[in-house]
Amino acid sequence: MMAKMHDISLKIGPAAFRIASTWQRPLDQLTDLYKAYPAPTGETVDFTVRLEPEKPWRRFIRPSVHIGGDFWLPDAAPLPLDQGLLAAEMGMNLQMALGWRRHLLLHASSVEKDGKALVMTGLSGSGKSTLSAMLAERGWRFMGDEFALLSLDSGEIMPFPRLISLKNRAIDAMQDIASENRFGPEMKATPKGDIRHLVPPPDAIERMNEPATPALLLFPRFGHAPELRPMGQAEIFVRLTQASTNYVALGEAGFRALTRFVDDVPVKAMDYQSIDQAEELIDALWSPLP
Amino acid sequence: MTQKYRAAAKDDLIWHDLDSMTLLYHRPSGITHMLADPAPAILEVMNEAVLSTVEIAERLSARFDLESNIDTENIVLARLEELSRLGLVAPVPA
Amino acid sequence: MMQDARTLIRALREPASVEALNSRQWTDLISVARAESLIGSLAHRVKDVAVPDRVRAVLRDAIEAHDLARRQAMWEADCARRALAGYPGKIVLMKGTAYVAANLDAGIGRSIGDLDIMVARDDLPVVEAALLDAGWEWVKPDPYDDRYYRDYMHELPPLIHRERDRMVDVHHTILPLTARPTPDAQAILEDAVALDDGLYVMAPADMLLHSIAHLFADGDLAGGLRNLWDINQLVRHFSGGDAEFWMKLRKRAEKHGLVDELERALRLAVRLYATPVGKGSAGWRKISDCLYVRRLLARDGYGRETRKITRFAFYVRSHWLRMPPVMLARHLWAKWRKGGKPVGEPGIR
Repeated sequence: MMAKMHDISLKIGPAAFRIASTWQRPLDQLTDLYKAYPAPTGETVDFTVRLEPEKPWRRFIRPSVHIGGDFWLPDAAPLPLDQGLLAAEMGMNLQMALGWRRHLLLHASSVEKDGKALVMTGLSGSGKSTLSAMLAERGWRFMGDEFALLSLDSGEIMPFPRLISLKNRAIDAMQDIASENRFGPEMKATPKGDIRHLVPPPDAIERMNEPATPALLLFPRFGHAPELRPMGQAEIFVRLTQASTNYVALGEAGFRALTRFVDDVPVKAMDYQSIDQAEELIDALWSPLP
Repeated sequence: MTQKYRAAAKDDLIWHDLDSMTLLYHRPSGITHMLADPAPAILEVMNEAVLSTVEIAERLSARFDLESNIDTENIVLARLEELSRLGLVAPVPA
Repeated sequence: MMQDARTLIRALREPASVEALNSRQWTDLISVARAESLIGSLAHRVKDVAVPDRVRAVLRDAIEAHDLARRQAMWEADCARRALAGYPGKIVLMKGTAYVAANLDAGIGRSIGDLDIMVARDDLPVVEAALLDAGWEWVKPDPYDDRYYRDYMHELPPLIHRERDRMVDVHHTILPLTARPTPDAQAILEDAVALDDGLYVMAPADMLLHSIAHLFADGDLAGGLRNLWDINQLVRHFSGGDAEFWMKLRKRAEKHGLVDELERALRLAVRLYATPVGKGSAGWRKISDCLYVRRLLARDGYGRETRKITRFAFYVRSHWLRMPPVMLARHLWAKWRKGGKPVGEPGIR
C-alpha cells in the first residue's frame, strides 16, 4: 500500500507548483512562509514536487526525504526530515532548472529600481544571493536570489521571488536587519552548510508579476578589494551560457534572447568586501544609466 | 583528385558578432559555435558553392587583405578539417 | 486523486475526453504523462481540444521540447552517418530516431534519448573503431560491464561523444543473445529500407516486432505504456495501406521466434489503446494479460509508481528473460559487490 500524500499549491512569479509530501510538517512550514503569496486556487500547476521516504519503511525510522517530481535527477541524495523545507525548495528549483521553457533561466539574483533590473551572477560564494537580500532592505525591489527569468521576446526580466535562501554567515547578517517573523527554521549542517529561509519584503511579493528591463549585469566576487573591471563580450556570453540551465534546451529562442541580452546590457565584474562597498560601486554605475 | 567542400546551408545558420569572436547558431544541431577568424570568413566566402581549398584561398585573397607571406591554403585546409568535424562543412564526393 | 494511468490512456485514445477534466485531474494527468514519457504524445493528441490556459502552456512546452529533441536526434544520426561514411554495410536506425527519420506517426511527440543503430555483428569492430576515431568514447571503463556487454548483450557498451555529450548504442540484433527468442538479425539487415541520406530503417514488420521485443525484454515493463503507444501507432500506420500486412507480420514473427510476444502485445494494445488488429492475429486471451495491464497502469496521480508487488514480479521476470539463471546470479553478484544497481532498473535513462 502506498503511503498517503498531502499536498499544497504555491505560485511564485509565473510558475505554479504542487508540493506533495508523505509528511505534513514540511508543508505546514511552507504554508506559513508562503502565506503572503497568492494561492493558485482553482488553477492547474506547471510542476509537481514529491517528498517521499527514501524506502517505504524509512517513513518512521530515521526518516529521510527523497526529492522527486515531474523532473528529477537519478542521483539526488536524500535529506533528513528536519531539512524537509530545504528539500521542497530544492525540488522546486529542480523543476524550474530542468523543465521551465517560457524564459531563459539565468542562475542569477536580481533587484529592481525605477523599472530597471540589476542582474547579478557568478559562482556560488560570489555573494550574489546575499547582495540581493541586502539591497532589498535598502530601497530596491527584490526579484529573486536564485533564477533571473529572461523573457524570450521582450528581453525583460520576470521576477521569481521565492524564499531567500540564506547560507552560513549571511544568516547572522540578515538577522541583524530583518524582523524575526520573516525567518524560517534554522537548518544546521545541510549539504550546503547552515541554511535559513527568509520571506522577501512585501513589495517583492505584491509585485511578483511585474517585469523589469535589465539595465546592468554584474559578476560580483566577495572578499577582494573593491574594484570594477570591464569584461569582453565573448567571455560574458560563455559565462552566461554556463549560468543558464536551459540555454541549450531552448534552441534558437535561447540563442536570440541571450545574444540580445549581451548586446543591450552593460556589464562589469565587481570585487567587494562589504555591502557598503558594493552599494557604493553599484550606485556609481546605476545613476548615469539611461 | 582534388577534394571539394560545401558549407552548411545559409538558412541553417544564424550569425552574431561579439567583440572578439563570432557566434554561429547551427539550426539542425541546436549547437552554438564560437568561431575565431578566419573560420567565419571561410564559411562566408564558400557561400554554398562546391569549392577546393585553392578556390577558397583565392576567394579569401580577393575579399580580404591577406598578408602575402602566409600559407593561406594550409590554413584553409586546417580550418576546413575542424569545420567538417563540427558538421559545418562537408566534403563533397567528386 | 488518480489511482492509475487510465485517464492518460483515455486521453490518448479519445482526446476530447480531457475537456471534462477539472484542474486537479489535469495536474494529475500531467504528472502521470511526464512520468510515463508520454507528455509529448499527449500534447500533440490534444492540440485541438479546449484546455485551461496553464495546461496549454505546459503542453506547448512539451511540444517545443520534443521538436528540438527530434531535430537533435536527426543531427545525431547524421553525425553517425558521417563518421561511418567509409563503412560499406547498412546502418539501420532504431526506435525513436527511426520513427522520426521515416516520418511515422509513432515519432510525433515521442521522447528520444540515445541514438540506437544496428549493424552486422561481424562488422562491430570496424564500426566501433570508426566511431572512436570520430570522437566517441566509452562511457564505462569497467571491465566487468564491458565483458558483460560483449558476451551477453545485443549491443556494444554505450559510447558517448566527447564534445556533444550524446550517447550511441550500437546493436547487432534486437534482443540480448541470452534471451530465449533468437531473432534473425541477418534477415532484418537484408530487408532494411533505405532512406534518402543512405541510412536505413527496418522494414515495417521488423520495426514493429522490434518495438514488441523491446516492450517485453527491456527492464520490468518500465516505460511500457510508451512502448505500447509506439506499437499502437506503428500498427495503425502499417496495416492501413497494406492488405497483406497481417500475413507478413505473422510470418516474420515466426521467423524471429516472437509469435507469443506479438500476440500478447497486440492483445494489450487492443485493450489499452483500442488498436485495430487483423482477425486472429492477437491469439487467445490469457488470464495473465490482466497482470500485464495492472502493471502497465501502475502510476498514481502524483506520478508515483504504485503496485510494488506487481512490479517486483516483473522485475525478476525481466532478468530471467534476458539471462539464463546462473548467468543472472553471477551478474547480480558482481553488481552487489560493487554496490551498484542491477541493470534494468527503471528510470535511469
